[in-house]
Amino acid sequence: MMFSIVNKIKGAALIVGAAFLLPVSLHAASCCGGGSAASLVLPKFGKAMLDVSMDVEQYHGYWDSKGVWRADPPNSSLNQYRLNVGGAYRLADRWQISAMIPYVFNQNKYTGISSNTNGLGDAAVSVWYEAFDNIMCVWDVQSWQDLKPAIYWGATLTIPTGISPYDAVNNNFDITGRGFYRLDGSVLLDKTVYPWNATLGYTYGVHLERPVNREYGNYVQPYRKKMGDRSTATISMGYTHFTQLMQSITYTLAYAQLDEQKAVISGVTDATSGLKKRSLSGTVAWASDDRDWIIKGTVNHALRYNQWGRNFPTTNVFTMGVSHVFR
Amino acid sequence: MYFVKSYMVLLSIIFLGLNGCNSDLAPSGSDQRAVVSSGSIGFQPGQQAPNITWLDSVGNSFNLSDHLVGGATPAQAVVLYFTMWCPICTSHMDDILFNTVPLFSLRGTVVYVAVDYVSGTVAMARTAEVSNGYAGSAFRTVVDTNQTVMNQMHASMGTTVVINQNGLVLMNEDYRTGQNLRTILNAVLP
Repeated sequence: MMFSIVNKIKGAALIVGAAFLLPVSLHAASCCGGGSAASLVLPKFGKAMLDVSMDVEQYHGYWDSKGVWRADPPNSSLNQYRLNVGGAYRLADRWQISAMIPYVFNQNKYTGISSNTNGLGDAAVSVWYEAFDNIMCVWDVQSWQDLKPAIYWGATLTIPTGISPYDAVNNNFDITGRGFYRLDGSVLLDKTVYPWNATLGYTYGVHLERPVNREYGNYVQPYRKKMGDRSTATISMGYTHFTQLMQSITYTLAYAQLDEQKAVISGVTDATSGLKKRSLSGTVAWASDDRDWIIKGTVNHALRYNQWGRNFPTTNVFTMGVSHVFR
Repeated sequence: MYFVKSYMVLLSIIFLGLNGCNSDLAPSGSDQRAVVSSGSIGFQPGQQAPNITWLDSVGNSFNLSDHLVGGATPAQAVVLYFTMWCPICTSHMDDILFNTVPLFSLRGTVVYVAVDYVSGTVAMARTAEVSNGYAGSAFRTVVDTNQTVMNQMHASMGTTVVINQNGLVLMNEDYRTGQNLRTILNAVLP
Protein backbone atom coordinates (compact mmCIF):
# COMPACT_ATOMS: atom_id res chain seq x y z
CA MET A 1 0.00 0.00 0.00
CA MET A 2 2.76 2.38 0.99
CA PHE A 3 4.63 1.59 -2.20
CA SER A 4 1.49 2.25 -4.16
CA ILE A 5 1.03 5.69 -2.62
CA VAL A 6 4.67 6.62 -3.15
CA ASN A 7 4.41 5.42 -6.71
CA LYS A 8 1.34 7.57 -7.21
CA ILE A 9 3.13 10.57 -5.80
CA LYS A 10 6.09 10.01 -8.06
CA GLY A 11 3.71 9.55 -10.94
CA ALA A 12 1.95 12.79 -10.19
CA ALA A 13 5.30 14.55 -10.14
CA LEU A 14 5.92 13.21 -13.61
CA ILE A 15 2.54 14.41 -14.73
CA VAL A 16 3.26 17.84 -13.34
CA GLY A 17 6.40 17.79 -15.39
CA ALA A 18 4.37 16.95 -18.42
CA ALA A 19 1.99 19.80 -17.68
CA PHE A 20 4.87 22.23 -18.01
CA LEU A 21 5.15 21.25 -21.62
CA LEU A 22 2.00 23.18 -22.36
CA PRO A 23 2.64 25.57 -25.21
CA VAL A 24 1.12 28.45 -23.31
CA SER A 25 3.74 30.94 -24.33
CA LEU A 26 3.77 30.23 -28.01
CA HIS A 27 4.42 33.17 -30.21
CA ALA A 28 3.82 32.08 -33.71
CA ALA A 29 2.53 33.81 -36.72
CA SER A 30 3.34 32.75 -40.20
CA CYS A 31 2.72 36.31 -41.32
CA CYS A 32 4.81 38.08 -38.76
CA GLY A 33 7.30 35.86 -36.98
CA GLY A 34 7.58 32.17 -36.68
CA GLY A 35 7.43 29.34 -34.25
CA SER A 36 9.11 29.10 -30.92
CA ALA A 37 9.92 26.29 -28.56
CA ALA A 38 8.17 26.03 -25.22
CA SER A 39 10.17 25.13 -22.15
CA LEU A 40 10.67 21.60 -20.90
CA VAL A 41 10.79 20.85 -17.20
CA LEU A 42 12.02 17.52 -15.96
CA PRO A 43 10.12 15.77 -13.15
CA LYS A 44 11.80 15.61 -9.74
CA PHE A 45 12.67 11.95 -9.98
CA GLY A 46 13.74 12.00 -13.57
CA LYS A 47 17.31 11.92 -14.78
CA ALA A 48 16.49 12.84 -18.31
CA MET A 49 13.56 13.23 -20.65
CA LEU A 50 12.98 13.30 -24.37
CA ASP A 51 10.00 15.03 -25.87
CA VAL A 52 8.52 15.19 -29.35
CA SER A 53 5.37 17.09 -30.17
CA MET A 54 3.51 18.43 -33.15
CA ASP A 55 1.62 21.72 -33.15
CA VAL A 56 -1.02 22.58 -35.68
CA GLU A 57 -1.81 26.28 -35.49
CA GLN A 58 -4.77 27.58 -37.46
CA TYR A 59 -5.24 31.31 -37.95
CA HIS A 60 -8.68 32.82 -37.64
CA GLY A 61 -8.48 36.59 -37.86
CA TYR A 62 -6.60 38.95 -35.60
CA TRP A 63 -6.87 41.75 -33.08
CA ASP A 64 -5.92 45.09 -34.53
CA SER A 65 -3.93 47.82 -32.81
CA LYS A 66 -7.03 48.94 -30.90
CA GLY A 67 -7.90 45.43 -29.76
CA VAL A 68 -10.79 45.06 -32.19
CA TRP A 69 -11.09 41.55 -33.59
CA ARG A 70 -11.13 41.38 -37.39
CA ALA A 71 -11.52 38.51 -39.84
CA ASP A 72 -8.82 37.37 -42.24
CA PRO A 73 -9.39 38.07 -45.94
CA PRO A 74 -12.17 35.89 -47.36
CA ASN A 75 -11.17 32.49 -48.75
CA SER A 76 -7.86 32.57 -46.93
CA SER A 77 -6.42 29.58 -45.10
CA LEU A 78 -3.41 30.26 -42.91
CA ASN A 79 -1.73 27.45 -41.01
CA GLN A 80 1.54 26.76 -39.30
CA TYR A 81 2.77 23.31 -38.33
CA ARG A 82 5.61 22.85 -35.88
CA LEU A 83 7.48 19.66 -35.11
CA ASN A 84 9.17 20.21 -31.76
CA VAL A 85 11.97 18.03 -30.48
CA GLY A 86 13.54 18.54 -27.12
CA GLY A 87 15.32 16.99 -24.21
CA ALA A 88 15.99 17.66 -20.56
CA TYR A 89 18.87 16.43 -18.44
CA ARG A 90 19.40 16.54 -14.70
CA LEU A 91 22.66 18.19 -13.75
CA ALA A 92 22.27 17.88 -9.98
CA ASP A 93 19.58 17.21 -7.39
CA ARG A 94 18.10 20.66 -7.84
CA TRP A 95 19.41 21.65 -11.24
CA GLN A 96 18.40 20.65 -14.73
CA ILE A 97 18.98 21.84 -18.28
CA SER A 98 16.76 21.48 -21.30
CA ALA A 99 16.67 22.39 -24.96
CA MET A 100 13.96 22.45 -27.59
CA ILE A 101 13.97 23.27 -31.27
CA PRO A 102 11.03 23.36 -33.67
CA TYR A 103 10.89 22.69 -37.37
CA VAL A 104 8.26 24.95 -38.88
CA PHE A 105 6.03 24.50 -41.89
CA ASN A 106 4.10 27.55 -43.10
CA GLN A 107 1.10 26.96 -45.30
CA ASN A 108 -0.69 30.11 -46.44
CA LYS A 109 -3.41 30.33 -49.02
CA TYR A 110 -5.19 33.47 -50.15
CA THR A 111 -7.32 34.02 -53.21
CA GLY A 112 -4.40 35.67 -54.95
CA ILE A 113 -1.38 33.78 -53.62
CA SER A 114 -0.40 30.45 -52.11
CA SER A 115 2.77 29.66 -50.24
CA ASN A 116 4.30 26.57 -48.65
CA THR A 117 7.62 27.08 -46.90
CA ASN A 118 9.50 25.43 -44.09
CA GLY A 119 12.60 25.76 -41.95
CA LEU A 120 13.95 25.64 -38.43
CA GLY A 121 12.22 27.83 -35.88
CA ASP A 122 13.80 29.59 -32.92
CA ALA A 123 15.37 27.26 -30.39
CA ALA A 124 15.29 27.54 -26.61
CA VAL A 125 17.80 26.44 -23.99
CA SER A 126 16.74 26.51 -20.34
CA VAL A 127 18.25 26.03 -16.92
CA TRP A 128 15.90 25.27 -14.04
CA TYR A 129 16.43 25.33 -10.30
CA GLU A 130 14.06 23.40 -8.04
CA ALA A 131 13.64 25.18 -4.71
CA PHE A 132 12.64 22.00 -2.90
CA ASP A 133 14.10 18.61 -2.12
CA ASN A 134 11.04 16.48 -1.53
CA ILE A 135 7.84 15.94 -3.40
CA MET A 136 5.40 18.64 -2.35
CA CYS A 137 2.26 16.76 -3.35
CA VAL A 138 -0.05 15.67 -0.55
CA TRP A 139 -3.17 13.63 -0.11
CA ASP A 140 -4.46 15.51 2.89
CA VAL A 141 -3.77 18.92 4.29
CA GLN A 142 -2.88 18.34 7.95
CA SER A 143 -0.72 21.36 8.62
CA TRP A 144 0.22 24.61 6.96
CA GLN A 145 3.40 22.99 5.68
CA ASP A 146 1.30 20.71 3.53
CA LEU A 147 0.23 23.79 1.59
CA LYS A 148 3.76 24.73 0.56
CA PRO A 149 4.06 24.60 -3.21
CA ALA A 150 6.86 23.27 -5.32
CA ILE A 151 8.74 26.26 -6.71
CA TYR A 152 10.85 26.23 -9.85
CA TRP A 153 13.07 29.08 -10.96
CA GLY A 154 14.15 29.10 -14.58
CA ALA A 155 16.16 30.99 -17.15
CA THR A 156 15.61 30.46 -20.85
CA LEU A 157 17.64 31.74 -23.76
CA THR A 158 15.77 31.89 -27.06
CA ILE A 159 18.23 31.51 -29.91
CA PRO A 160 17.29 32.93 -33.33
CA THR A 161 17.88 29.75 -35.30
CA GLY A 162 14.77 30.40 -37.38
CA ILE A 163 14.44 32.34 -40.60
CA SER A 164 13.63 35.97 -39.83
CA PRO A 165 12.76 39.06 -41.88
CA TYR A 166 16.43 40.02 -41.56
CA ASP A 167 17.71 36.93 -43.34
CA ALA A 168 18.09 36.35 -47.05
CA VAL A 169 14.39 35.69 -47.64
CA ASN A 170 12.12 36.55 -50.53
CA ASN A 171 9.10 37.64 -48.51
CA ASN A 172 7.28 37.30 -45.21
CA PHE A 173 5.88 33.86 -46.02
CA ASP A 174 9.36 32.37 -45.56
CA ILE A 175 9.62 33.46 -41.93
CA THR A 176 9.97 30.85 -39.21
CA GLY A 177 11.62 32.89 -36.45
CA ARG A 178 11.81 36.39 -35.00
CA GLY A 179 15.52 37.04 -35.40
CA PHE A 180 16.26 38.14 -31.82
CA TYR A 181 17.93 36.55 -28.83
CA ARG A 182 15.71 36.70 -25.77
CA LEU A 183 16.51 35.97 -22.14
CA ASP A 184 13.58 34.90 -19.98
CA GLY A 185 13.36 34.54 -16.24
CA SER A 186 10.58 32.28 -15.00
CA VAL A 187 8.99 31.15 -11.78
CA LEU A 188 6.60 28.25 -11.54
CA LEU A 189 4.55 27.42 -8.46
CA ASP A 190 2.89 24.07 -8.35
CA LYS A 191 0.65 22.55 -5.70
CA THR A 192 -1.05 19.19 -5.75
CA VAL A 193 -3.57 18.04 -3.21
CA TYR A 194 -4.85 14.86 -4.74
CA PRO A 195 -6.61 14.60 -7.01
CA TRP A 196 -6.42 18.32 -7.68
CA ASN A 197 -3.50 20.32 -8.97
CA ALA A 198 -2.91 24.02 -9.50
CA THR A 199 -0.05 25.89 -11.07
CA LEU A 200 0.92 29.53 -11.39
CA GLY A 201 3.60 30.65 -13.75
CA TYR A 202 5.19 33.95 -14.64
CA THR A 203 7.88 34.70 -17.19
CA TYR A 204 9.56 37.98 -17.96
CA GLY A 205 11.70 38.18 -21.05
CA VAL A 206 14.13 40.74 -22.41
CA HIS A 207 15.03 40.82 -26.10
CA LEU A 208 18.60 41.70 -26.88
CA GLU A 209 19.16 44.64 -29.18
CA ARG A 210 20.68 43.81 -32.56
CA PRO A 211 21.87 45.58 -35.70
CA VAL A 212 19.79 45.22 -38.85
CA ASN A 213 21.15 45.80 -42.33
CA ARG A 214 18.69 43.76 -44.38
CA GLU A 215 14.90 43.49 -44.60
CA TYR A 216 13.27 40.66 -46.54
CA GLY A 217 16.44 40.17 -48.54
CA ASN A 218 17.03 43.84 -49.39
CA TYR A 219 20.02 45.56 -47.88
CA VAL A 220 19.02 48.80 -46.13
CA GLN A 221 20.75 51.56 -44.26
CA PRO A 222 21.84 49.85 -41.03
CA TYR A 223 19.95 50.53 -37.84
CA ARG A 224 19.54 48.98 -34.41
CA LYS A 225 16.38 47.32 -33.17
CA LYS A 226 15.23 46.01 -29.82
CA MET A 227 11.95 44.20 -29.47
CA GLY A 228 9.90 45.01 -26.41
CA ASP A 229 10.12 43.18 -23.13
CA ARG A 230 7.66 40.33 -22.86
CA SER A 231 5.71 38.89 -19.94
CA THR A 232 3.64 35.76 -19.78
CA ALA A 233 1.37 34.80 -16.90
CA THR A 234 -0.36 31.44 -16.68
CA ILE A 235 -2.71 29.80 -14.26
CA SER A 236 -3.96 26.25 -14.51
CA MET A 237 -6.10 23.76 -12.64
CA GLY A 238 -5.87 20.03 -13.11
CA TYR A 239 -7.56 16.85 -12.02
CA THR A 240 -5.89 13.45 -12.05
CA HIS A 241 -7.68 10.16 -12.38
CA PHE A 242 -5.85 6.92 -11.59
CA THR A 243 -6.95 3.77 -13.32
CA GLN A 244 -6.94 0.34 -11.68
CA LEU A 245 -3.74 -0.41 -13.58
CA MET A 246 -2.16 2.67 -11.97
CA GLN A 247 -2.08 4.53 -15.22
CA SER A 248 -3.12 8.13 -14.83
CA ILE A 249 -5.13 10.59 -16.86
CA THR A 250 -4.80 14.26 -16.02
CA TYR A 251 -7.18 16.91 -17.25
CA THR A 252 -5.90 20.47 -17.14
CA LEU A 253 -7.48 23.82 -17.93
CA ALA A 254 -5.22 26.82 -18.27
CA TYR A 255 -5.46 30.53 -18.90
CA ALA A 256 -2.54 32.49 -20.27
CA GLN A 257 -1.87 36.13 -20.96
CA LEU A 258 1.00 37.32 -23.09
CA ASP A 259 2.08 40.95 -23.26
CA GLU A 260 4.91 42.42 -25.26
CA GLN A 261 5.92 46.05 -24.95
CA LYS A 262 6.76 48.28 -27.87
CA ALA A 263 9.96 47.87 -29.84
CA VAL A 264 12.63 50.54 -30.05
CA ILE A 265 14.34 51.25 -33.36
CA SER A 266 17.52 53.34 -33.22
CA GLY A 267 16.31 54.98 -30.04
CA VAL A 268 12.79 55.71 -31.31
CA THR A 269 9.83 53.83 -29.87
CA ASP A 270 7.84 51.98 -32.52
CA ALA A 271 4.29 52.96 -31.66
CA THR A 272 2.91 50.36 -34.07
CA SER A 273 4.46 47.44 -32.21
CA GLY A 274 3.67 45.65 -28.96
CA LEU A 275 1.08 42.95 -28.58
CA LYS A 276 -1.29 41.22 -26.20
CA LYS A 277 -2.88 37.81 -26.32
CA ARG A 278 -5.16 35.99 -23.92
CA SER A 279 -5.92 32.34 -24.48
CA LEU A 280 -7.46 29.27 -22.88
CA SER A 281 -6.08 25.75 -23.04
CA GLY A 282 -7.35 22.29 -22.27
CA THR A 283 -4.97 19.36 -21.93
CA VAL A 284 -5.40 15.65 -21.47
CA ALA A 285 -2.25 13.76 -20.45
CA TRP A 286 -1.95 10.03 -20.10
CA ALA A 287 0.93 8.46 -18.16
CA SER A 288 1.88 4.80 -18.14
CA ASP A 289 1.85 2.86 -14.89
CA ASP A 290 5.63 3.22 -14.52
CA ARG A 291 5.36 6.91 -15.51
CA ASP A 292 8.04 6.47 -18.12
CA TRP A 293 5.78 7.44 -20.97
CA ILE A 294 3.47 10.40 -21.20
CA ILE A 295 1.19 11.15 -24.12
CA LYS A 296 -0.58 14.46 -24.16
CA GLY A 297 -2.96 16.44 -26.28
CA THR A 298 -3.69 20.14 -25.92
CA VAL A 299 -6.13 22.53 -27.49
CA ASN A 300 -5.28 26.20 -27.12
CA HIS A 301 -7.94 28.67 -28.15
CA ALA A 302 -7.78 32.44 -28.41
CA LEU A 303 -11.24 33.90 -27.90
CA ARG A 304 -12.30 36.12 -30.78
CA TYR A 305 -13.58 38.91 -28.60
CA ASN A 306 -12.61 42.56 -28.72
CA GLN A 307 -9.93 43.52 -26.19
CA TRP A 308 -8.81 39.93 -25.61
CA GLY A 309 -5.72 40.75 -27.59
CA ARG A 310 -3.99 43.45 -29.54
CA ASN A 311 -1.81 43.46 -32.65
CA PHE A 312 -1.83 39.68 -32.82
CA PRO A 313 -3.48 36.85 -34.74
CA THR A 314 -6.20 34.80 -33.10
CA THR A 315 -5.41 31.14 -33.48
CA ASN A 316 -6.32 27.66 -32.44
CA VAL A 317 -3.34 25.46 -31.60
CA PHE A 318 -3.71 21.69 -31.48
CA THR A 319 -0.77 19.87 -29.93
CA MET A 320 -0.03 16.17 -29.70
CA GLY A 321 3.11 15.02 -28.00
CA VAL A 322 4.90 12.17 -26.34
CA SER A 323 7.53 12.28 -23.60
CA HIS A 324 9.79 9.57 -22.29
CA VAL A 325 11.39 9.88 -18.89
CA PHE A 326 14.62 8.16 -17.91
CA ARG A 327 15.05 7.49 -14.20
CA MET B 1 21.36 7.31 -20.61
CA TYR B 2 24.02 7.19 -23.30
CA PHE B 3 21.26 7.73 -25.83
CA VAL B 4 20.01 10.80 -23.95
CA LYS B 5 23.47 12.32 -23.72
CA SER B 6 24.03 11.69 -27.40
CA TYR B 7 20.71 13.33 -28.15
CA MET B 8 21.59 16.44 -26.15
CA VAL B 9 24.99 16.63 -27.83
CA LEU B 10 23.25 16.36 -31.19
CA LEU B 11 20.98 19.29 -30.32
CA SER B 12 24.04 21.31 -29.32
CA ILE B 13 25.74 20.49 -32.60
CA ILE B 14 22.63 21.61 -34.49
CA PHE B 15 22.67 24.93 -32.62
CA LEU B 16 26.37 25.47 -33.24
CA GLY B 17 26.17 24.28 -36.83
CA LEU B 18 23.54 26.87 -37.59
CA ASN B 19 25.99 29.60 -36.77
CA GLY B 20 27.46 29.33 -40.22
CA CYS B 21 24.23 29.58 -42.18
CA ASN B 22 21.99 31.88 -40.17
CA SER B 23 22.85 35.57 -40.10
CA ASP B 24 20.61 36.20 -37.08
CA LEU B 25 22.97 34.33 -34.77
CA ALA B 26 25.68 36.93 -35.38
CA PRO B 27 23.86 39.85 -37.00
CA SER B 28 25.80 42.39 -39.03
CA GLY B 29 25.42 46.14 -38.93
CA SER B 30 27.58 46.86 -41.95
CA ASP B 31 26.13 48.82 -44.83
CA GLN B 32 25.98 46.47 -47.81
CA ARG B 33 23.66 48.44 -50.07
CA ALA B 34 24.62 48.36 -53.71
CA VAL B 35 25.51 51.61 -55.42
CA VAL B 36 22.80 52.55 -57.89
CA SER B 37 23.41 54.36 -61.14
CA SER B 38 21.48 57.55 -61.68
CA GLY B 39 18.57 57.23 -64.08
CA SER B 40 18.37 53.44 -63.88
CA ILE B 41 15.01 51.83 -63.34
CA GLY B 42 14.59 49.76 -60.23
CA PHE B 43 13.30 49.44 -56.71
CA GLN B 44 16.11 51.02 -54.72
CA PRO B 45 16.20 54.59 -53.46
CA GLY B 46 17.86 56.72 -56.11
CA GLN B 47 16.41 54.73 -59.01
CA GLN B 48 13.46 55.56 -61.24
CA ALA B 49 10.35 53.58 -60.35
CA PRO B 50 9.09 51.25 -63.07
CA ASN B 51 5.82 52.03 -64.78
CA ILE B 52 3.08 50.81 -62.46
CA THR B 53 -0.50 50.03 -63.40
CA TRP B 54 -3.14 48.43 -61.22
CA LEU B 55 -6.89 48.18 -60.80
CA ASP B 56 -8.19 49.66 -57.59
CA SER B 57 -10.76 48.08 -55.30
CA VAL B 58 -13.69 49.54 -57.22
CA GLY B 59 -12.36 48.58 -60.64
CA ASN B 60 -10.82 51.85 -61.77
CA SER B 61 -7.34 51.85 -63.22
CA PHE B 62 -4.46 53.32 -61.26
CA ASN B 63 -1.45 54.50 -63.22
CA LEU B 64 1.59 55.83 -61.44
CA SER B 65 2.30 58.13 -64.39
CA ASP B 66 -1.00 59.95 -63.77
CA HIS B 67 0.43 61.19 -60.48
CA LEU B 68 3.82 62.32 -61.79
CA VAL B 69 4.71 65.63 -63.35
CA GLY B 70 2.70 66.03 -66.57
CA GLY B 71 0.14 63.43 -65.49
CA ALA B 72 -3.60 63.88 -65.20
CA THR B 73 -3.60 64.28 -61.41
CA PRO B 74 -0.04 65.11 -60.38
CA ALA B 75 1.09 64.81 -56.76
CA GLN B 76 4.22 65.73 -54.89
CA ALA B 77 4.59 62.19 -53.62
CA VAL B 78 3.08 58.73 -53.95
CA VAL B 79 3.27 56.44 -50.92
CA LEU B 80 2.88 52.71 -51.50
CA TYR B 81 2.19 50.47 -48.51
CA PHE B 82 2.19 46.71 -49.21
CA THR B 83 -0.49 45.00 -47.12
CA MET B 84 -1.78 41.51 -46.54
CA TRP B 85 -4.34 42.74 -43.99
CA CYS B 86 -2.48 41.28 -41.04
CA PRO B 87 -2.24 42.85 -37.56
CA ILE B 88 1.15 44.40 -38.24
CA CYS B 89 -0.05 45.73 -41.60
CA THR B 90 -3.13 47.41 -40.21
CA SER B 91 -1.17 48.80 -37.29
CA HIS B 92 1.16 50.47 -39.79
CA MET B 93 -1.75 51.64 -41.94
CA ASP B 94 -3.44 53.17 -38.90
CA ASP B 95 -0.23 54.98 -38.03
CA ILE B 96 -0.12 56.44 -41.54
CA LEU B 97 -3.78 57.42 -41.40
CA PHE B 98 -3.75 58.99 -37.96
CA ASN B 99 -0.20 60.30 -37.60
CA THR B 100 1.08 61.02 -41.10
CA VAL B 101 -1.88 61.99 -43.27
CA PRO B 102 -3.08 64.79 -40.93
CA LEU B 103 0.46 66.10 -40.58
CA PHE B 104 0.73 66.85 -44.30
CA SER B 105 -2.89 67.37 -45.27
CA LEU B 106 -2.35 71.07 -45.95
CA ARG B 107 0.98 70.67 -47.72
CA GLY B 108 0.60 69.76 -51.36
CA THR B 109 -0.78 66.46 -52.59
CA VAL B 110 0.20 62.99 -51.45
CA VAL B 111 -1.37 59.85 -52.88
CA TYR B 112 -1.52 57.05 -50.32
CA VAL B 113 -1.88 53.59 -51.85
CA ALA B 114 -2.58 50.33 -50.00
CA VAL B 115 -1.16 47.63 -52.26
CA ASP B 116 -3.13 44.44 -51.63
CA TYR B 117 -0.97 41.60 -52.92
CA VAL B 118 -2.97 38.70 -51.49
CA SER B 119 -6.59 39.19 -52.52
CA GLY B 120 -6.02 38.63 -56.23
CA THR B 121 -9.27 40.16 -57.50
CA VAL B 122 -11.01 43.50 -57.32
CA ALA B 123 -13.96 42.02 -55.47
CA MET B 124 -11.81 40.29 -52.84
CA ALA B 125 -9.68 43.38 -52.34
CA ARG B 126 -12.82 45.43 -51.82
CA THR B 127 -14.11 42.95 -49.26
CA ALA B 128 -10.82 43.03 -47.37
CA GLU B 129 -10.69 46.81 -47.51
CA VAL B 130 -14.21 47.15 -46.13
CA SER B 131 -13.94 44.47 -43.45
CA ASN B 132 -10.70 45.96 -42.14
CA GLY B 133 -12.21 49.43 -41.94
CA TYR B 134 -10.33 51.23 -44.71
CA ALA B 135 -13.16 51.95 -47.15
CA GLY B 136 -13.44 55.68 -47.61
CA SER B 137 -10.11 56.32 -45.90
CA ALA B 138 -7.16 58.26 -47.28
CA PHE B 139 -5.83 54.98 -48.66
CA ARG B 140 -6.69 53.97 -52.19
CA THR B 141 -6.56 50.19 -52.25
CA VAL B 142 -5.17 48.58 -55.40
CA VAL B 143 -4.95 44.94 -56.46
CA ASP B 144 -1.47 43.63 -57.22
CA THR B 145 -2.56 40.59 -59.19
CA ASN B 146 0.15 37.90 -59.35
CA GLN B 147 2.33 40.10 -57.13
CA THR B 148 3.74 41.79 -60.23
CA VAL B 149 4.66 45.10 -58.63
CA MET B 150 5.53 43.44 -55.34
CA ASN B 151 8.22 41.49 -57.19
CA GLN B 152 9.32 44.52 -59.21
CA MET B 153 9.77 46.56 -56.05
CA HIS B 154 11.26 43.65 -54.04
CA ALA B 155 8.51 44.32 -51.54
CA SER B 156 6.97 42.24 -48.77
CA MET B 157 4.55 42.68 -45.89
CA GLY B 158 4.95 46.20 -44.51
CA THR B 159 7.20 47.51 -47.26
CA THR B 160 6.74 51.24 -47.69
CA VAL B 161 7.80 53.00 -50.88
CA VAL B 162 7.86 56.74 -51.49
CA ILE B 163 8.07 58.00 -55.08
CA ASN B 164 8.43 61.70 -55.84
CA GLN B 165 6.78 63.69 -58.60
CA ASN B 166 9.60 62.83 -61.00
CA GLY B 167 9.19 59.11 -60.48
CA LEU B 168 12.29 58.80 -58.32
CA VAL B 169 12.21 56.21 -55.54
CA LEU B 170 13.03 58.06 -52.32
CA MET B 171 12.39 55.27 -49.86
CA ASN B 172 11.87 51.51 -49.98
CA GLU B 173 11.98 49.80 -46.60
CA ASP B 174 10.02 48.06 -43.90
CA TYR B 175 7.66 50.49 -42.16
CA ARG B 176 9.48 50.58 -38.77
CA THR B 177 8.31 53.58 -36.68
CA GLY B 178 6.86 55.82 -39.39
CA GLN B 179 9.46 58.47 -38.62
CA ASN B 180 11.41 57.88 -41.85
CA LEU B 181 8.24 58.28 -43.92
CA ARG B 182 7.39 61.55 -42.21
CA THR B 183 10.94 62.85 -42.58
CA ILE B 184 10.93 62.18 -46.30
CA LEU B 185 7.49 63.67 -46.87
CA ASN B 186 8.50 66.71 -44.87
CA ALA B 187 11.47 67.19 -47.18
CA VAL B 188 9.47 66.67 -50.37
CA LEU B 189 6.29 68.61 -49.68
CA PRO B 190 6.02 72.39 -50.07
